[in-house]
Amino acid sequence: MAPISTGDVIPDGTLSYFDENDKLQHVSLNSLAAGKKVILFGVPGAFTPTCSTKHVPGFVKKAKELKSKGVDEILLISVNDPFVMKEWSKTYPGNKHVKFLADGSATYTHALGLELDLSEKGLGTRSRRFSLLVDNLKVKVANVESGGEFTVSSVDEILKAL
Amino acid sequence: MAATASITITRLLCSPTSLSRSATSRFVPKTLSSSTISFPLLALKHRSKSLRLSTAAPLTTISAAISVGEKLPESTLSYLDSAGEVQTVTVSDLTKGKKVILIAVPGAFTPTCSQKHVPSYVEKAGELKSKGVDTIACVSVNDAFVMQAWKKDLKVNDEVLMLSDGNGHFTRAIGAELDLSDKPVGLGVRSRRYAMLVDDGVVKVCNMEEGGGFTFSGAEDMLKAL
Repeated sequence: MAPISTGDVIPDGTLSYFDENDKLQHVSLNSLAAGKKVILFGVPGAFTPTCSTKHVPGFVKKAKELKSKGVDEILLISVNDPFVMKEWSKTYPGNKHVKFLADGSATYTHALGLELDLSEKGLGTRSRRFSLLVDNLKVKVANVESGGEFTVSSVDEILKAL
Repeated sequence: MAATASITITRLLCSPTSLSRSATSRFVPKTLSSSTISFPLLALKHRSKSLRLSTAAPLTTISAAISVGEKLPESTLSYLDSAGEVQTVTVSDLTKGKKVILIAVPGAFTPTCSQKHVPSYVEKAGELKSKGVDTIACVSVNDAFVMQAWKKDLKVNDEVLMLSDGNGHFTRAIGAELDLSDKPVGLGVRSRRYAMLVDDGVVKVCNMEEGGGFTFSGAEDMLKAL
């Protein structure tokens, strides 16, 4: 699949998470994003350094600002299981708006065309680092890194587009 | 909250109705467990031994799970050192000339693994070591970053080495895969829960659960075997 880019309609797919009662929930991208302005950003791995200390904190800190500019949802996805995503989300106690969603089998990541083979590092198939601004399912801005580097996918880049 | 998760997830991982594909068996292990099959295992054991020689390539046919008397296949596991760098250790380095308890869990941060299985070894580490165990290591099909975070969360120091079988090579090589891909929780292929006593690389005791159940793979059970 070609990597998702500006002008594309995001594919539908199912992601999962444990809610505040530790119950497993599944959610469809379409239900979260239809008719709304949504930021979807992805990371290679929960608990990995760049993801944990740079990429995610940026979105957590500026979530309020993003919302004040009309963003309805801020969705974080990673190819990790929902247990791991839940524990990782707990390491950001100040987080109020970013939803940590698990793409455990990399199905949605494949649908976006953003898979990253990290088998050599014992991580299997993961996602490239990216951030998308999606308006009513249509991609307005696609900032996709070629791998796990952290250049265009930060919150500041997306803020410029709002 | 945690209790609910524990019940829900234990059901997902262990329930006969959710895992079983046949009405007669409680679990349908993809590999033959030495505890359930005796005669056919003798015929298969020879075949699976020759499959296991090529440990570099992933096994594509169903092999019998490792059993007592067999040598652990070579493989490489990883972990994060104190500087946060990924380091690797081979199975031979881990087990050569030593008495090792090797345990495995279906998933880091999952309830039974976190609340019962690993803690039992942390608690009994001193006692196990006083009985001649040199190393206690826990393996899971999770990456080294997740294993490190889990280790910190469980407050494990040196009692148990937390090792990543990130690509599942070792787990497949010993026939301990647990396919949870069709479960809604998105765990993919993981490891069955087990506890093994390994002496100089040779399996002396092999308590392999059929799935994620926690019946005889705890520290108490290993202590009885020593």
